[in-house]
Amino acid sequence: MILAVLFANSVGNVLIERFNGVPAEERLTWRSFLVKLGAENLKGVKNEELLVACHKSVYIVYTMLGDVSIFLVGKDEYDELALAEAIFIITGAVKDICGKPPTERVFLDKYGRICLCLDEIVWNGLLENTDKDRIKRLIRLKPPSEF
Amino acid sequence: MAEASGKTLMDLISADPTPTVPAQSTSSSASSTPSPAASHLHQPMSTKTTLGEKKSKRATLMQIQNDTISVAKAALNPVKANIMPQRQRQKKKPVSYTQLARSIHELAATLDQKSSQKQLVNHVFPKLAVYNSVDPSLAPSLLMLNQQCEDRNVLRYVYYYLARILSDTGMSPGGGIPTPNWDALADIDAGGGVTRADVVPRIVNQLTSEASNSETEFHARRLQALKALTYSPSGNSELLSKLYEIVFGLLDKVADVPHKRKKGVFGTKGGDKESIIRSNLQYAAMSALRRLPLDPGNPLFLHRAAQGVSFADPVAVRHSLEILSELAARDPYSVAMTLGALQDILHLNDVLARVALARLCHSISRARALDERPDIRSHFNSILYQLLLDPSERVCYEAILCILGKYDNTERHGTDERASGWYRLTREILKLPEAPSKDKSNKTKRPQPLIKLVMRRLESSFRSFSRPVLHAAARVVQEMGKSRAAAFAMGLQDIDESVHVNAFSDVLDEAETNDSSHPEGIRRTSSISAGPGRNETIASLLASLMEVVRTTVACECVYVRGMVVKALIWMQSPHESLDELKSIIASELSDPAWPASLVNDVLLTLHARFKATPDMAVILLEIARIFATKVPGKIDADVLQLLWMTCLIGAGPDGKHTALEAVTIVLDLPPPQPGSMSGLTSLDRVSASDPKSALALQKLVQAAVWFLGENANYAASEYAWESATPPGTALMMLDADKMVAAASSRNPTLAGALTRLQRCAFSGSWEVRIVAVQALTTIAIRSGEPFRLQIYEFLHTLAEGGVQSQLSEMHLSNGEDQGVSGTGLGVLITPMLKVLDEMYVGQDELIKDIRDHDNANKEWKDEELKKLYETHERLLDFVSLFCYIPRAKYLPLGPISAKLIDTYRTKHNITASSGTTDPTVVATGISDLIYESTQPAPAASNSSGLDDDLVNAWAANLGDDGLLGNNAPAMSRVNEFIAGVGTDAPDVDEENIFSRPSVGYDDMWAKTLLETNELEEEDARSGSSSPDSAGSVESSISSHFGGMNYPSLFSSKPSSQATAKSSGSKYQSTYEGYGSPIREEPPPPYSYSEPQSRESFENPMAGSGSRSYESDEDEPRKSTGTRFGTALYDFTAGGDDELNLTAEEELEIEYEVDGWFYVKKKRPGRDGKMAGLVPVLYVNQS
Repeated sequence: MILAVLFANSVGNVLIERFNGVPAEERLTWRSFLVKLGAENLKGVKNEELLVACHKSVYIVYTMLGDVSIFLVGKDEYDELALAEAIFIITGAVKDICGKPPTERVFLDKYGRICLCLDEIVWNGLLENTDKDRIKRLIRLKPPSEF
Repeated sequence: MAEASGKTLMDLISADPTPTVPAQSTSSSASSTPSPAASHLHQPMSTKTTLGEKKSKRATLMQIQNDTISVAKAALNPVKANIMPQRQRQKKKPVSYTQLARSIHELAATLDQKSSQKQLVNHVFPKLAVYNSVDPSLAPSLLMLNQQCEDRNVLRYVYYYLARILSDTGMSPGGGIPTPNWDALADIDAGGGVTRADVVPRIVNQLTSEASNSETEFHARRLQALKALTYSPSGNSELLSKLYEIVFGLLDKVADVPHKRKKGVFGTKGGDKESIIRSNLQYAAMSALRRLPLDPGNPLFLHRAAQGVSFADPVAVRHSLEILSELAARDPYSVAMTLGALQDILHLNDVLARVALARLCHSISRARALDERPDIRSHFNSILYQLLLDPSERVCYEAILCILGKYDNTERHGTDERASGWYRLTREILKLPEAPSKDKSNKTKRPQPLIKLVMRRLESSFRSFSRPVLHAAARVVQEMGKSRAAAFAMGLQDIDESVHVNAFSDVLDEAETNDSSHPEGIRRTSSISAGPGRNETIASLLASLMEVVRTTVACECVYVRGMVVKALIWMQSPHESLDELKSIIASELSDPAWPASLVNDVLLTLHARFKATPDMAVILLEIARIFATKVPGKIDADVLQLLWMTCLIGAGPDGKHTALEAVTIVLDLPPPQPGSMSGLTSLDRVSASDPKSALALQKLVQAAVWFLGENANYAASEYAWESATPPGTALMMLDADKMVAAASSRNPTLAGALTRLQRCAFSGSWEVRIVAVQALTTIAIRSGEPFRLQIYEFLHTLAEGGVQSQLSEMHLSNGEDQGVSGTGLGVLITPMLKVLDEMYVGQDELIKDIRDHDNANKEWKDEELKKLYETHERLLDFVSLFCYIPRAKYLPLGPISAKLIDTYRTKHNITASSGTTDPTVVATGISDLIYESTQPAPAASNSSGLDDDLVNAWAANLGDDGLLGNNAPAMSRVNEFIAGVGTDAPDVDEENIFSRPSVGYDDMWAKTLLETNELEEEDARSGSSSPDSAGSVESSISSHFGGMNYPSLFSSKPSSQATAKSSGSKYQSTYEGYGSPIREEPPPPYSYSEPQSRESFENPMAGSGSRSYESDEDEPRKSTGTRFGTALYDFTAGGDDELNLTAEEELEIEYEVDGWFYVKKKRPGRDGKMAGLVPVLYVNQS
């Protein structure tokens, strides 16, 4: 289960978050934990360099993309490596939409499409589509495979 | 509505990169922008507006949009704003949620115009996405758009928002800018607000009909409709069955295709239109099926999932495999039978699909149900082994973990599975099968020992630069360590690690040296494995791996290092040198970057390591010591105590002394010098340079002192009731120096502990001194002479306040006011001294009496004996105030009284063992009456110590729902950790370590004072001044201090065997005693107010304490007995004494009161509560 996908800006404001299977009362704690983690470790990190953390049996993989930091929290089959795959797909999609590692402004300009992409990539806590072209088609309401 | 508009604002403003949280910035600026459109929101949409109106509305709308954009741009980039002066003049007006909602309504009405669609796609919908949830009142417009709009982009958003409305369960699902609770708002708005309940059926209906629409042109929308439907909460069974119907109906149409094989080979390109549509629909159906709750009883699941493996769509195949692997975990037999042979699947492109495949193969290849079909098992086994060569680390590691016997997060599979996993890994060989489809690979590939493949792979992973890879590799090594430990613990034959790994494969090896025929995935590993090392042993392979692992501590990521340390701890074997590990940990911990949660995780790892290999107790204590000295501020004293205790027991008779030394080394630490950072690299120097960690260190010292007091007697094997020293000897040793000399020569362990405690009693802080004095009293009571006298002497001096002058050379002032009595402890010490005084007086009198009788050659009369016995009992009760002692054996009047007491007991038919039904014990929850009654020679059986099996069984029992495990918060944390559960959110701030649910000393102390009063009041009410009431007070004074929240040998002895042997009622009573240390004793109606019942209750024992105990505990038992049951529904506690329930939770029903059950859970709930009241109707009794 991918427990959480969270986008934050460089000063720690949450831009997008999607929780799956996390009780409401724990979300705030997770949110601040992740933001704190980012604030402590993401300074001077290169774009898309992956960082890792874990808490009990829950894994966290996070990275920086332009002005935006991206966090993924997962457990069970979504361990560090699976999350690394997922975050790779997400960063790829965001870069595709924004054309480059986004500034915060560009990110917000494309906010709606990023949400749609995310909707296609992580569906109810499970990784869904991984193929770029496929995601692109799906957010335009085209079938996953064209004829 | 004002609320709504007040809380909701377009966030693009908050996108302004200033350090404000969106919610704050919105609420601050919201007041200045009252929404003009607020009143429009809930008015029914009118599509019959005149053109003029429409135009004017659209004009306003455009205006709003323009405003938004300009505002957003200006806010985002003030520099750019200068370039657009014409927009500057329009004052910044953020777009509110209300405005957005209104736009949607209006644009939905004017859908025929291109510009409306553009507006929606480019402005309205993206902005709406920023909000936390979607107002159900938007649903009608969205549905209208859904029906009428042709534009794909608009429709995609519509599906997105419909899904969000469906998934919204009122608990802020999405994040973003907070929105109000729409339903509540609609209820307030009497004028026809729209709630979720109103719109959800409509949405579901529309989506359902779309999902069943079989028109070709429509199929992309069909996919999205199905997807949106899966977002609806799974609690709705009606909807769920509808979904099953749709999904299986869809699969009925598309899953059974005769020529599906062909497509698997050619992929998705180049197929004809019909098959592509089919494949798309297959994908949609499988994806939806994957999100639906798995119903193992439904054969359709298995059937369709098995078909799905050969679908053309890669995602559909992945979902099928995942469903299959879940099914196989429950019913491997039918899955294997349905699947047949899998081969092409290894070439799947999707990593997660191969992960699922590994799990599937593991389940099937280990299934007992398939014992008579070795062919199937070996087929799946060989696929699993081939996955070791997978190019993706994720898949390879999954395969390793499966082979090692761990493939999910529970430790359910136990050591057997682990041990045989290690055996498989070290012994088995991968023979690559002939690929049936490809004729070119005719040559047999060289068989490879698994261990070699795995080691090479891991070693190369440790050279990676990717932190996730390093972390995962370290985790795999940790799991290897666990399996290895399990294998050693099981004493598996043939586990010799000096065997040459190639010995098995060499036979098959000569002909084949050329690796070039490996498929692509294998090339990477084979190039490495072609290196030297014909004669490698498992040990040498491991050694070289560990070398690489150690170098990984150089990684800058603290979590990777944490995992590496855990891996090292697991791979450490009891016989290897510890120095390297110690220095690694010491230097690691000096790094301030280590978060507290990680440090405690490692401590818990030590605990788990101990459970796997009790031999390592002393080694682990050494490591724990590093934690205590290096990072006192970060570790949880509870966890550390637990580790101490388990290790102390595990250390066995020979190691006990060492173990205790390792624990108490904490006490020998010099107080942290402010500002001294020089000692960072020294092992024994405390690193507590800030007030917070100094405070933590103090708490740690308190914990250690308490531990010492409670367990020193065990460690030293010194017990008063075992002591051979005649009391007369003690009385003659009044010279302090001689006494000390005698003591240390007799029992250096105990003497050492005493010295430490004495030092603490006057040199620590006030809190430490209190605990130290209590610890000393405990030891005094439990030890024989000369220790008791030595302590007595010491306490006496301490009480008189003369310590400072006498011991001034040892005294280290901590700048605290020492109080009137010199130590501030006078009040505390007086009652303790009184006990000892009384005991000595009693002993004196007894000796005198005996002499009189001897001299006069008199027989002891019954009255005299009775008096003696009463004194004995009174002293016993008195002593029980301070610490637990085995009543049946303890002789407060000294060993000399044994004969006389025995005489009296035999005469009056009093069984000594009934002394075990001690009120103290019940009240404090000390559970080892069982232990005492079943094992007559208690822990102290001097040289032989504890039976090893018992210790192991007990230690193993720790992890289960053992008695101890029910209560101690640290214990549950340990168990949680070991079981690998725990999605609970992490502690964010380090401050949190102090506010954890575990009870700190201060809390306990406060509680103690409180409870004492309550209990005293209660006693007064019942008019009893009997010792049993004192006994309950005791429970709160001294034993609460440790009896339950801190592990004690005395309170934790019960082994599973002992429990089984003991009678049921005893078991339950102790069990109940564990319920909660804090709660008031639950059933006051049974005892306190019923003196009559006590009278009528036959108890040969004179002490009324035992009587009240019996009536306390036995009555409810008699009426009900313990039953078991399961929770039928969720139940939310309405008060402190009630218990939250989750449906289907298993419960133990203790008793029934007025339509309520008092139940206990198997494991603590989310709120940490174990026991409480629940309505009878919520429980299904089994």
